[in-house]
Amino acid sequence: MEFPAALFPSYFGTGPPREEGAPAPAAGWGEHGQVLGAGPGRRQAETTFVPRRGGTGESWEPTNAAAVPVLPPNASSWVPSLAPQDILYRGILRRKLRAGKSGAALDFTRQLGHFFVDHPEDAFGSLGQLLHKNFYLGNSKLRRQARDSTIRMTALMEEIDRLEARRGCPRQYLTSRLRWFSHLCRDWLFEVPLGLLADCVHEELLLQWASLLFDDSPTGGALAWLPPEDVGARTGRLVYPGGQAMNHLYFQDVVLEELPRARGSPAQFELNGRIRQVAAARADGEDFVGIRSDYHCGVWRVPGRTGAAPTPLQVIRTSVPASCLTVSPHLPGELAVCTQSGTVYLWSVETGLQRLRHDPQTMFFRDHSPWRWSDFTAHPRVLSCADRTGLQCLDARAPERCHFDLFKVGEEASCQQGERVVLPMYLGKAHPSQHLVTTQFSVYVLDERLPLVPVLKWAHMMKAPPLFAHLTPGGPGRSHKVLLGASRTQELLLLQYRGGSQSACQLVGPPQKLHNIAGCLQHLPTQLPHRHRLLQQRLGAPAAGLAAALHEDGPRESLLVFQLSEAGDVFCQRLTHEAAQPPPPTVGDEAVAAPGSSPLFEAPASSPPGSGSEEVEEEEEEQTFYLSNLEVIINEEEEEEEEEDAGMTVAPEEAKLPQEPRASPQPTLAVPSPAAALRYRRWLKALPKVCRERPRHAWPPTLSQKRLFTRKELEPPAVPSTLHRQARQRLRQAMREGGCIQHWDPPASQPPALPQPPESPGGPDPLSARLTASWSGDWGQWWEERMSFNVAQRQRALRERRRRQKRARGRRSLSASFTSSLTYQSELSELSDAAPPPLSPGPPSVLPREGSPLGGSPPASPLPDEALLSSQSLRCRGIPKERRKTLRDYLAVWAEGPPESPEPPGSQASQLCIPSSQSQLSSASQPRRKRPRMGF
Amino acid sequence: SSREHKLNFKKSKEVCLNYIQDAMLQKQWKRAAEFLTFYIESLEKDFSTEYMGPSEMIWRIGTEILCHHSHSSMKEFNSFIEQMKTLGVKRYLKVCLEHAFHLLCNGLVDEAYQNLSLAESWRFGEQTVIQDKEMKLIQAYRGLLDYYSWSKQKNVLLEHGHDGFEDLSVEQEMHSCFRKAAVNLKEIIKIPGVWDLFVKCYVDLLEFYGDHNEARQVLNEYAYNSKFPANPNAHVYLYQFLKRHGESKKSLISALKILHDIVPSHELMIDFNTMLQKSKKRKKRRLGLEVIFAALDYAGWKENVKAWNCLARQVKQIVISEKHLDWIKQEWNSRKDWWPAFHFSRYLAKRNWQENESLSYEKALVAGILLGKDCKYFKYISHQGCKAQVKRFRILKKFVNKHNPVYLRISS
Repeated sequence: MEFPAALFPSYFGTGPPREEGAPAPAAGWGEHGQVLGAGPGRRQAETTFVPRRGGTGESWEPTNAAAVPVLPPNASSWVPSLAPQDILYRGILRRKLRAGKSGAALDFTRQLGHFFVDHPEDAFGSLGQLLHKNFYLGNSKLRRQARDSTIRMTALMEEIDRLEARRGCPRQYLTSRLRWFSHLCRDWLFEVPLGLLADCVHEELLLQWASLLFDDSPTGGALAWLPPEDVGARTGRLVYPGGQAMNHLYFQDVVLEELPRARGSPAQFELNGRIRQVAAARADGEDFVGIRSDYHCGVWRVPGRTGAAPTPLQVIRTSVPASCLTVSPHLPGELAVCTQSGTVYLWSVETGLQRLRHDPQTMFFRDHSPWRWSDFTAHPRVLSCADRTGLQCLDARAPERCHFDLFKVGEEASCQQGERVVLPMYLGKAHPSQHLVTTQFSVYVLDERLPLVPVLKWAHMMKAPPLFAHLTPGGPGRSHKVLLGASRTQELLLLQYRGGSQSACQLVGPPQKLHNIAGCLQHLPTQLPHRHRLLQQRLGAPAAGLAAALHEDGPRESLLVFQLSEAGDVFCQRLTHEAAQPPPPTVGDEAVAAPGSSPLFEAPASSPPGSGSEEVEEEEEEQTFYLSNLEVIINEEEEEEEEEDAGMTVAPEEAKLPQEPRASPQPTLAVPSPAAALRYRRWLKALPKVCRERPRHAWPPTLSQKRLFTRKELEPPAVPSTLHRQARQRLRQAMREGGCIQHWDPPASQPPALPQPPESPGGPDPLSARLTASWSGDWGQWWEERMSFNVAQRQRALRERRRRQKRARGRRSLSASFTSSLTYQSELSELSDAAPPPLSPGPPSVLPREGSPLGGSPPASPLPDEALLSSQSLRCRGIPKERRKTLRDYLAVWAEGPPESPEPPGSQASQLCIPSSQSQLSSASQPRRKRPRMGF
Repeated sequence: SSREHKLNFKKSKEVCLNYIQDAMLQKQWKRAAEFLTFYIESLEKDFSTEYMGPSEMIWRIGTEILCHHSHSSMKEFNSFIEQMKTLGVKRYLKVCLEHAFHLLCNGLVDEAYQNLSLAESWRFGEQTVIQDKEMKLIQAYRGLLDYYSWSKQKNVLLEHGHDGFEDLSVEQEMHSCFRKAAVNLKEIIKIPGVWDLFVKCYVDLLEFYGDHNEARQVLNEYAYNSKFPANPNAHVYLYQFLKRHGESKKSLISALKILHDIVPSHELMIDFNTMLQKSKKRKKRRLGLEVIFAALDYAGWKENVKAWNCLARQVKQIVISEKHLDWIKQEWNSRKDWWPAFHFSRYLAKRNWQENESLSYEKALVAGILLGKDCKYFKYISHQGCKAQVKRFRILKKFVNKHNPVYLRISS
């Protein structure tokens, strides 16, 4: 093992870091660091200098426009992980708090409220039962005798409802009744004392927030590539977790081709917990795969020859979550395990566990994180142990006595303040004594033989700390490739370095960003907005692992980089090595496929939670919005039909955008190759099949009108009309049968009071008639007819129309008010545009049976009967004048549309979206429907 | 609204920076350059008290782009850097230093020298600790360049000296180079750090002028001062110096002993072992065995024929003489639970035999003695060796069979 004859100069100081710490966005650029001169040799006249950073590296160019799925989508209905907006204050209060610079404001009351609403039994169980008789929630007045022991809570409930409806209103205030009630019962109403409960909720919130800021459980990554035994072979094995809870372990044979292809079905093991880490190393010609979940670690042996089945060897259980598992590259069946209690074990399959260290304190200075890591070193009996403050090496034969410090967060490595170790990794494949250490700011290469002084340091400028790393060693004279991967932002960075034995370590070539999974979204066929969002969410799931395979196909060398997401999807990209020929001057500038996503694209994922850069947008994302006190709940719905044709169009408009000469925010888009496009299509097609598990969302959108009127206002008249009775009867019957009411037929005696289009019931309008005529070629004849349309005929027609109009006005007093209401309430009609009509004569199977009771049938009767809506009847119900019209408009919205909707009902479903995203919709090849107008 | 305006400005600045980063990380230097021209606007309202202000970012990004941009030239680079030097006082020295590095890497040694001298003469009020360090580095690098020109002139003189031609002015210039270099180099190597290059040059200067004491002192200081990092090269330089000057075995051994203590896997351990094996003292031979065993513990030595040969030779010697078997036993004790799997597995036997026959021979000998004639490694290799009719393997087999009782004594 040679040691470089001269190292790059550097200062050496001791103590805590002096440099101010802050993530500096450009810190990694423009520095050579130091230079090292090879003195004038005997033959060389001139001295040549090499820089520590900035030398020329190898050129690895991506061959595809984006990452491509390797495997079918993981069969999991992935629940998006917690987002900052779930637990942070929104709205005015937050803005106020932010102005006070108090950092993140956790929405503690909302969580507490959720608890009360979701678990009322746990929150108020016993007192609820006790007071059951004394609280009256009905509408009628209390009887005299009852009044002694019972209070009427109805008004209070209504207050609360109204409070909810006014959420976000700046003038929101508590009514005295509510205040009085809360003061009165704060001390005794709750099952769990409020203070105690609040403490627990708050503690949990803090934990959640901490893990949202930085979650170290996936450190190391849960993806591993087991290369084929002989270098030339093309079939290796991918080890990855999958399944609903990521608790299935798969060993999948993968053939390396232009795009890697799975061969056969994977060997599968079901485990007892979510797989956090998959570590693999080859010792003695066999691969050993270590699997870490929170409380269990297991080891598998995979024989080198292809097709041999992996065998589980041993499992250990820990009482404290394990934070690290690494596999020895030296001795078969040896692993290093760390737990969050600060214990480090050497785990040998043959001899069991050997505890090397137990220290709940961190090594060099105090840090609260219980995270520990351990890896192997050049000496098979010496293990490195890490916590957030640094690395130590200790000899397993005498762990107390023999140890030395390898890396310290401090002046020794000229760290920044606040810098912490994120991931250490043994780089034995590149050089037996090298180690990689990543922190949130920088990446270091260390040499065991020169402890404490990093032989390389570079500020990686990644937006999230690199939790995953992978080394692809280069042969003699070649550079070693290091891949760094972040979890939350899915960033992937390729670095190259050289040296370590004969020459000092050098970072060569510029760092290179690789495609991430989310980046392929722009290359997928255009989706409907809500599907696009789901897809965006799925593809933008935090990364969970990273692996790479070097594939040598004759002279051509390529690097396949695999990335695993938390949703369990494995994507891959290929980089090809261009052998060192002087590149043509413009290569690498414009012509190249643009990897990754533009900053525009990754906006939701890129900035760290609480950094305060994207708060403005998130306000609009509410699913429930309030429109003049009207709550509109739009239920997402899956489409069946568009699935097929959505897959047909590849590379949408973006790909054909005219290329501007100016620098545009969006990098030039390359089109995915046909093979990649096929992969995307297949993957997209398989996606809904594997994660369809949402029957509760399958019903059509509902409008809640609960908060529009108080109960009293909508109270039926004391004596129910026949209509009411009939309607009730029908409802009851439908509920009994478990069916649904498709057509809300009015009483059988009356003919269906469909709002007939009053105008020219017979023929089409003149424009269509003219167009039809000209299309069929006899436009001239049409003109003749039109001209000869005699006056008498016209008059007759006019009279006829007037009469009909009159009749219609008489019959449906409501329709008269339509025109005006539609003009000033255009939003409402927009909404009705978007909503699929409940009345649609489509196949009844659209509504699943289990969704139909009550919730399934539209709450507002789709066909309002005149009796209910005539201004008279409204007035006699005590509905104020100004609301009558709103109600009428609102109910009328439901009545109109369907009968004269021009499209078949199937395609209408695709119109389903919130109005604000209609502009997006227009690209979905659906012509905008004309707003249905009726009334004259 | 002015606050809003400020916010917007900040935001667009951030967005622009993101675009630049994105382009650079995809090696789209042209695109990055275009965005950078927009970003320069951010200098106008640079009131930031941030850790890294826009002017530093522009310097860093601009330098990087100019290093990679296909149409950039040295002239452009220089003018850009000159502008950057005026942008920030705090950063002046750093920019100068990096500029000099860039020039040096492009072979423009004279320009770099000028730049360094210019930077050296720069004065601006009180210097911070970092600036002080940078200034020292600038001086040191200038000293280094002085050293290189000194050594060039030295070579010229030596060549012409053979011709019997001497040039006084060249000699004088050489001496002045020496003085300038020595002053600066001497300064920096006093400060704790890794100064391999500077120490080497300084020692070379001193040696040339015959100041061996000073050179030795410098090297001793560099190797043994506890404020300095445990740099193996410091010990190597000292050892090489001692060797050059024909120092006694004892001092050489003591120098290497320390190197062995800090880096047992250093390549000089072979020399050390050979040196110790030749020694007449039992203690030293014992140390030699320790050294070679320790070296072979490391993964990097696994396939080193030389090292295995050293171990095999010494083990064989001990076995034949049947003295000091306890040495082997002691060394073996701490290794017997993992060396067999680490070095002597059947898989390795196969691979070593295929890849390197002489390695497998040496290893088989060691394995046969340490693990007995039934060990997998020895069995496989001797079998293959005999099958291939290689004489030395037959002798090896005989030797191991004969000395099998040794194994029993070692393993007991």
